[in-house]
Amino acid sequence: MKVGCHASSSIHAPRPRQFGDKMSAVCCCAHCDFLSLGMQDDHRLSTSELEKKYGTSIDKGLSSARAAEILARDGPNALTPPKATPEIVKFLKQMIGGFSILLWIGAAFSWISFGIQLAQGVDSAFDNVSARVTTRGGFQPREWHKANFGSISVFQQALVLRDAEKKELPADQLVVGDIVEIKGGDRIPADIRLIFTQGCKVDNSSLTGESEPQSRSCDFTHENPLETRNIAFYSTTCVEGTATGIVINTGDRTIIGRIASLASGVGNEKTPIAIEIEHFVYLVAGVAISIGVLFFIISVSMRYKILDSIIFLIGIIVANVPEGLLATVTVSLSLTAKRMAKKNCLVKNLEAVETLGSTSIICSDKTGTLTQNRMTVAHLWFDNQIYSADTSEDQTTQSFDQSSPSWAALSKIVTLCNRAEFRPGQENLPIMKRVVVGDASETALLKFSEVILGDVMNIRAQNKKVAEIPFNSTNKFQLSIHETDDPHDKRFLLVMKGAPERILERCSTIMINGKEEPLDSEKAEAFQTAYMELGGMGERVLGFCHLYLPENEFPETFQFDTDSMNFPTSNLCFVGLLSMIDPPRSTVPDAVSKCRSAGIKVIMVTGDHPITAKAIAKSVGIISATSETVEDIAKRLNIPVEQVNRREATAAVVNGMELKEMSAEQLDEILREHAEIVFARTSPQQKLIIVEGCQRQGAVVAVTGDGVNDSPALKKADIGIAMGIAGSDAAKNAADMVLLDDNFASIVTGVEEGRLIFDNLKKTIAYTLTKNIAELCPFLIYIIASIPMPIGTITILFIDLGTDIIPSVALAYEKAESDIMNRRPRNKRRDRLVNEQLAVYSYLQIGIMQSVGAFVTYFTVYAEQGFLPSTLLGVRVDWESNAINDFEDSYGQQWTKYQRTYLQWTGYTAFFVSITIQQVADLIIRKTRRNSIFRQGLFRNKVIWVGIFSQIGIALILTYGLGHVTALNFTPLRFQYWFVAVPFAILIWVYDEIRKLLIRRYPGSWWDKNMYY
Amino acid sequence: MATLNEKKTCSERMADFRRFVWNPETKLFLGRSLINWVWISLYYVAFYVVMSGVFALSIYCLMRTINPYEPDYQDQLKSPGVTIRPDVYGSRGLQIYYNVSDNKTWEGLVTTLHTFLTAYTPAAQHLNINCTNNTYFIQETFDGPNKTKLSCKFTSDMLQNCSGITDPTFGYPEGKPCFIIKMNRIIKFYPGRGIAPRVNCTYVGEESRPLEVDYYPVNGTFNLHYFPYYGKKAQPSYSNPLVAVKFLNITKNVELKIVCKIIGAGITFDNVYDPYEGKVEFKLKIED
Repeated sequence: MKVGCHASSSIHAPRPRQFGDKMSAVCCCAHCDFLSLGMQDDHRLSTSELEKKYGTSIDKGLSSARAAEILARDGPNALTPPKATPEIVKFLKQMIGGFSILLWIGAAFSWISFGIQLAQGVDSAFDNVSARVTTRGGFQPREWHKANFGSISVFQQALVLRDAEKKELPADQLVVGDIVEIKGGDRIPADIRLIFTQGCKVDNSSLTGESEPQSRSCDFTHENPLETRNIAFYSTTCVEGTATGIVINTGDRTIIGRIASLASGVGNEKTPIAIEIEHFVYLVAGVAISIGVLFFIISVSMRYKILDSIIFLIGIIVANVPEGLLATVTVSLSLTAKRMAKKNCLVKNLEAVETLGSTSIICSDKTGTLTQNRMTVAHLWFDNQIYSADTSEDQTTQSFDQSSPSWAALSKIVTLCNRAEFRPGQENLPIMKRVVVGDASETALLKFSEVILGDVMNIRAQNKKVAEIPFNSTNKFQLSIHETDDPHDKRFLLVMKGAPERILERCSTIMINGKEEPLDSEKAEAFQTAYMELGGMGERVLGFCHLYLPENEFPETFQFDTDSMNFPTSNLCFVGLLSMIDPPRSTVPDAVSKCRSAGIKVIMVTGDHPITAKAIAKSVGIISATSETVEDIAKRLNIPVEQVNRREATAAVVNGMELKEMSAEQLDEILREHAEIVFARTSPQQKLIIVEGCQRQGAVVAVTGDGVNDSPALKKADIGIAMGIAGSDAAKNAADMVLLDDNFASIVTGVEEGRLIFDNLKKTIAYTLTKNIAELCPFLIYIIASIPMPIGTITILFIDLGTDIIPSVALAYEKAESDIMNRRPRNKRRDRLVNEQLAVYSYLQIGIMQSVGAFVTYFTVYAEQGFLPSTLLGVRVDWESNAINDFEDSYGQQWTKYQRTYLQWTGYTAFFVSITIQQVADLIIRKTRRNSIFRQGLFRNKVIWVGIFSQIGIALILTYGLGHVTALNFTPLRFQYWFVAVPFAILIWVYDEIRKLLIRRYPGSWWDKNMYY
Repeated sequence: MATLNEKKTCSERMADFRRFVWNPETKLFLGRSLINWVWISLYYVAFYVVMSGVFALSIYCLMRTINPYEPDYQDQLKSPGVTIRPDVYGSRGLQIYYNVSDNKTWEGLVTTLHTFLTAYTPAAQHLNINCTNNTYFIQETFDGPNKTKLSCKFTSDMLQNCSGITDPTFGYPEGKPCFIIKMNRIIKFYPGRGIAPRVNCTYVGEESRPLEVDYYPVNGTFNLHYFPYYGKKAQPSYSNPLVAVKFLNITKNVELKIVCKIIGAGITFDNVYDPYEGKVEFKLKIED
């Protein structure tokens, strides 16, 4: 209840988004749901009350008839698959979404103008406008990755008591009130209130993400049904033991069902890149419409017919639409997605690629993401000394001092007092990779001893086990008695491990350097110090002791009885301590420091104990070595926590319980004031609150998660990252990205790629926009100066969708200019993809230079064929007239209409070739935005060269290969015209180098502000 | 993936826009301070002045390379185009329709011919010389005044019955109309390879009787001494030679499709894309 109320209080905080409010309202209701609705208070009821409530009997179960009735009422016990959007709707969405709308409006305009011309019977220069539309229609890229994750419901059997008989039923036939039996290895078939358990442990990882098995009993242990021990949840697994329970919820009414439906209720909305594209569309549309209207006014005042002027207007708007860009952006994103997949980031939603780059806060899980998700021996204490063990992923040896006889004794206890075993048949695998049967600590110890001593199984065989008391929570120790491997030594060896203080209680001596010495208060003190120190590092500490049973009292034939304990369990000899931790992945500290230098705040959100969380946070650098929490300061200054100036503390460790009590403002304050934050003992629902808090700070939040309970937070986050190995299907479904190796370091790689693609998209768009001016200018000059049309619409299409596509995609392969991980994440409100500088520089500078170059080529072609520039001005009407077939050129020669038209096409081709040549220069200058091209290296990005050659190749094919296909308006151009624009291409390059030089020379200057995009 | 967009109301957007246009707090106009606008404008003025200079320089260089007498290439002018007078263009090409009994329908056509022939009066042609050779008039040197080349005279009287002198109505009221065929000028083009090219008019398609045509000058030839043409600068007074055709047996009230080709080596009329190359096709309908 607290959780829900807490979330609802956040509504009062001023928040920019309407939908966000709605969403959190949905969420907090859902939180309430967990507690109030559905679950009721089944966990509080006694067995008989339950029987009464569900009309069932523990001994007989439901009758088949009654079960059928309930089944008819409630439906099968299966999750409704998420409502799949029909393909046609997806397709339509794709067709009209975002950028495409610009294309469609352009298309509509084209048809309107085509219609006008048709009605007029005019055969003007625009006769190809409609061709542009049609070509464009087929060019809607539909390349979105859809990773297919299997759904939760898998065919499954359940052992049910019905009509007083045990039956195997398909799990989807279960109804409320059924009595089911589960045993180790089973999936829990529904939400079950347990009524009988025996050593039952469940793995709730699919629900909560915590992989540590939790024990289940019939006792009501917690008000919260999610935390009480007597309920087992649908889709979790029973790891060991057996249990019987009453089904209390089925299908979508189970906890997991409700979370799943909650997660699917959160709609996918605009990603940062989608917003940028939209902004870009506005910009292009704004430019197009302004220029269009301006020239409409000009053409009207130049006494063009209104209808003609309208056609001009439409023509200008259409000419401004960058047809190829949508395809380019999509391809660039999918290339990056592919590259990221290679680095273990599987991107489900293409646009998420860039979102990751703009991430400013990462809320990371601890277990499995920051850590290796396996217990490992970290420290040892014997001979009054603490030794560190190697905790890296691929340890093969241990380097601490192993010469002491105490270690020999300790290692023997570790080896023998251990029930874990390797699964057979893994001899060739590295020890760390082998699968072990046994719990996490025992596994750690087994692997530890296997690494140091070698064949543990053989050692165990030589020291035959004669009796054993397994670990239980009342004894808090584990004990076994072995024969020794020395055939002359007939004594039995009793070995024991357990909670250190319990072990110490049972000891009267302590082994120092192989010698048993009495355990006096001084030595006990040393033990205490070591124990506290190891515990303080967040490690799980175990104590080890042994005793050689005297041969006379316990002869070889002695029968040990573990029930009556006919052997000593006190006055043992204490040997040492071992502490274990789930160690951080070795790549993580580096990744965290990368995040830090990249201005990304890493927040750890874990269900673990604060001390462990803090220890791991410190060891991976989430809390840096020098920073202190409020508690640390209090401890150092020896003052109460309340007196500490909170602002002095850069780090904070927030407990889930504290978080519950906090208001949204307090959470905001914590998120704002502290650079290094760890949330410990948080429930997955609190994760959502944390994410919302971060988003209130205006941050772009990436969240990792693996449990089903994480899925709302994953959805809520700007980018949800699910774990590929440990993650549940629901989490993967809710996430935008899946980390295939569960490794935090992969996120950082993803961030790098995301930032790179943002930079590269900028370059791509700058490249694409530039030639728009060179395509638009001819049209404007055509209107104003009435020259023959310099470039045709089909020709423009061949540039936009032909020569320019591969080069602009090639820019996606460009390497980063500087260390992009050393700058702050982009501010999503200020750092736009297409900013004013980019547009202005591309449109008004490089674009104009290109236009000049292309016009020079155009005039050259016409002049050398007989039409000098002066003759061309003002000839438009006569030139386009079909009735004039003796049109005189500057030399007095006379031209028919077709001869003129063919010359016009030659002009188109020349213009096209010039733009292509200058786009090569444009492509090269776009490789960098700040650095010199020569520093970036002309040949480092080979794909650029593929782009350049393809560009020129396509132009050659169009000009000479298809030059005789009149419908395409290309002509085989005289070869020398290819070189007219080359000086201008060089000029563009030189100009841009100067621009970059000045930007580097005078950072922060007027030039830098206006010329750097 | 969660939402990032801020839904703004229309008035908020307008307010944002107004703030963008003029922000009273920061004194920014369209996102720039006034002095900043001056600087950026100056920069662009300079930039465009330089670019205009570059463009002007390029065109200047281009003009320096251009030969004033003849173009560098005549890629499209391999074969001359042919035009006809009077030329009335309808939606399907040349369509000459008139009614013999209705003056208004053909007066315009006659006027067109008279206007066209004003360039061929002896007064208009006085700068040109009389040529008698029936060979190409090749001039390697500039023999004319002001460093020009000479042009041969072509006067309208050479068109005899179709000159408009003897019959100012060009035979239109009689239903035997004159048409004037003109070949486009192409510099240094030698039509016919030494044999004078001639005009030949026929019906297009099957017609019951052959078209009877009178050609003026005789045989409908373009005399070779009018060729080659040396360009406007070298031959400022040059005028194209003409051939007049008079159709004698036009069936009344029927739309006839007639093509006049120029027969001569080097003149092609089979370009499918260009209906006016080496030939001219038109529709003729005479009503009464």
